[in-house]
Amino acid sequence: MAKDSAPFFSVDALSKHFGGVHAVEDLSFGLARGEIVGLIGPNGSGKTTTINMVTGALKPNSGAILVEDHDMAGAPAHRFAQRGVARTFQVPRLFRRMPVMENLIVPALSDYGERRGSAEERAHGVLQFLKLGHLSGQYARALSGGQQKLLELGRALMLRPQLLLLDEPFAGVHPRLLEQIIDHIKSLNRDGHTIVVVDHNLEAIQSVVTRVMVMARGRKIADGGVAEVLRNPDVVRAYTGTRANR
Amino acid sequence: MMRPSVAQWTQGLLLALALLLPLVSGPYWIHVGAIAWYYALLAASWALLAGYAGQFSFAHVAFAALGGYASALCIELLAFPLPLAILTAVLLAAVVGALIGALVLRLSGPYLALFTLAISEIFRLVLVAEEDITRGMQGLSVPSLFSGNSDVPYYYLGLGLVVLAVGAMNGLLATRVGLFLRAIREDEGAARASGVDTTRYKILVFVVTSVIAAIAGIYYGHFIGILTPNMAILPEMGLVIAMAVIGGIESLPGSVIGAVVVFLLSESLRSYGEWRFVLMGLVLILVQRFAQNGLFPMLEQLGHRRKEPLPAVSAMEEPRGG
Amino acid sequence: MSYFLLLAINGLVIGLIFALVASGLTLVFSVLKVVNFGHGSLYMLGGYASYYLITALGLPSLVGVAGAMIALFVFGVVFERLVIAPMYTDKVERKDEYAIIVTFGLTILLTNLGLVVFGPFAKSPPSFMTGALILGPLILPYDRLIAAIVAVVLLVGLTVFLKRTALGQALDAVSQSRESAAVIGIDPRRMYTVAFGLGSALAGGAGALIAPIFAQSPSMGDLPAVQAFIIIVLGGMGSVGGSIAGGILLGLVQGLGVGYLPDPNRALAYTQAFGALLLVVTLLVRPTGLFGRSHLRLE
Repeated sequence: MAKDSAPFFSVDALSKHFGGVHAVEDLSFGLARGEIVGLIGPNGSGKTTTINMVTGALKPNSGAILVEDHDMAGAPAHRFAQRGVARTFQVPRLFRRMPVMENLIVPALSDYGERRGSAEERAHGVLQFLKLGHLSGQYARALSGGQQKLLELGRALMLRPQLLLLDEPFAGVHPRLLEQIIDHIKSLNRDGHTIVVVDHNLEAIQSVVTRVMVMARGRKIADGGVAEVLRNPDVVRAYTGTRANR
Repeated sequence: MMRPSVAQWTQGLLLALALLLPLVSGPYWIHVGAIAWYYALLAASWALLAGYAGQFSFAHVAFAALGGYASALCIELLAFPLPLAILTAVLLAAVVGALIGALVLRLSGPYLALFTLAISEIFRLVLVAEEDITRGMQGLSVPSLFSGNSDVPYYYLGLGLVVLAVGAMNGLLATRVGLFLRAIREDEGAARASGVDTTRYKILVFVVTSVIAAIAGIYYGHFIGILTPNMAILPEMGLVIAMAVIGGIESLPGSVIGAVVVFLLSESLRSYGEWRFVLMGLVLILVQRFAQNGLFPMLEQLGHRRKEPLPAVSAMEEPRGG
Repeated sequence: MSYFLLLAINGLVIGLIFALVASGLTLVFSVLKVVNFGHGSLYMLGGYASYYLITALGLPSLVGVAGAMIALFVFGVVFERLVIAPMYTDKVERKDEYAIIVTFGLTILLTNLGLVVFGPFAKSPPSFMTGALILGPLILPYDRLIAAIVAVVLLVGLTVFLKRTALGQALDAVSQSRESAAVIGIDPRRMYTVAFGLGSALAGGAGALIAPIFAQSPSMGDLPAVQAFIIIVLGGMGSVGGSIAGGILLGLVQGLGVGYLPDPNRALAYTQAFGALLLVVTLLVRPTGLFGRSHLRLE
């Protein structure tokens, strides 16, 4: 995995507050192409707000979001998606009354760069990759919970993403499917996709990422290799609320 | 699409019947038919706006009034030739439609409904208030399009407009725009995250449907010969809603059929007075309660095999509002 | 000056009635999250119910009002159970749309039923009390005074009910979060029924109070319905206090507007349009209204 010297995606001094609450405070990080990074932190640490800001679902109060040197902070969500910043949601938000195929081609057709035939071909490819090929004729609402999660991943892939942000891909998933999802993520990273995984399941995250960022109370408190981060006393304190030395 | 489906056979048959009606009916039913086309235009375009794109607007009849009055006033006050007057009115409707579409972007459900209801009322009240210009409740007279007294040319004009409008809307829906509109209706946030410029398409839908409503209003003005603000009162909007819902709010042909059927029934039951609207209200409630997608799609399904497998009960199914 | 006071007081009386109607609407919205587009027809029904109780059964006027409220409560409960309750299951796909259409259908049904059964001409039940209160240059008919007093009593009673009684607090709990309410043992569905019944009763009571003053006709509910929508948006959807404030404000504006604008045709139209304009501006600028609870989601 060749690492570029300058990150292709970076966030600089990003902040968001709601009224008096500082959901995210002065957040900065960079991602190199092909990296796979975990983002963890206790509830309320600002992880979801961060995802929402770097995908355009929320406007930051200040700071920059650089996608290949373009500052996109405050741009609408569809622009981020068209630029290849794709996300999945904690609870799948599929187009329920539309067939599986249509769910997949919406992202492909959205920027008018692609024709329907080509989009459908790619969609079939994505379904094969996710082993969901047999479901292509079904309506999205007819899928089981696990299948919906996979389909949502597929929909994100159809954007030909430069960056994939996975919001709790392991949540509420039974062990066999968990294995599948971990395999899919690894496989995607081997193909060169840059991935950020947000989740609470540390074991699962550890099996896919080499670098992890930790947030607590809106700030990034650690960023580095998994083992060293998990030993970091600030991180321990954030999770357990105890003081390391008294 | 090798063999036409039952639905298409039915629609073709109904179209043929509509074409032949003036040959077999007296002037009363031709007149009724010509008015029915007005409602069909409104119902179909409203179905696109509310059913397909999920924008439940109460301002639709106000756009019809806007078109009718704008065109008529251009002729009367500004001495525009007819084609220019119509064009002006249509452009005005497009601009206002875009404006309304932009204003309601962040509104949904009952908020959108209330907002558009208020806009509609403001417009109607201005028409009533400024009677020096609009002739208010006395009515603004509009010149006839055709010489002679027969309603037949209007009947065919109306029918032609309906066919064109439905054709144009279907054409639009067959493109990726239709796909995006459905995605927006299903989950707007997810659509945005999938790269769909929801703002553009929501405004587009408002522009397209407002233009069709305005054209309907222009047609109506020239046909009836007189325009009053009463064409935009709430019960008129209710009639359009009832027609689209009963016919099929997500089906363009369904809503056209719904409009025609409801209007014809209400005319043929005239002798029963207001009971016909009591019936309409009851049918509206019952159709929503038991056949939310409308009557005609339901009948369509009886005609061919179900493509969609019965939905599996999903373990992660979430009740709404969680 | 006395002209101003006269207009203001009349506006206040109307405003209190509007507030009563609006409080019923806002209660239904806050608990069920549904805007009842048929609310105006319930108001109309209340007026007629009272009329028939008074004229056919010879009941005293205020008992007629109470009777109308009870009748409307029952009607509301029945309608909610039969037509609205299915919305809570997954059988109904597009719930917002369903609620709007079904309640709108109620208006179509009831208004036209009213036309058929009662006829289009206005009827007036006898006054609550004939005569008027005369204070210097002000003449305030007793009808209006009594209507205003009863409206105030009902509004105060409603507020007390919601804050102090167990049932009222249960309604409030469901309006804030139906899941949390369910966890502490409150059955949300029963609260929906109660709220709808109560909201209908309030609308019916308002109609019954207005009837001797302005007479009634089947379309009498159209204007108050629109006013109620304006008021709940202005005051904040879900806020009873907001409805009261908004109702009084709107009543005053209309009362004074009609009196002070020179051209009567314009005056009437523009005072009504002004209310609609307030709704539009409120939704654009401050969607939660003047007193709305900002944590109430729009879904």
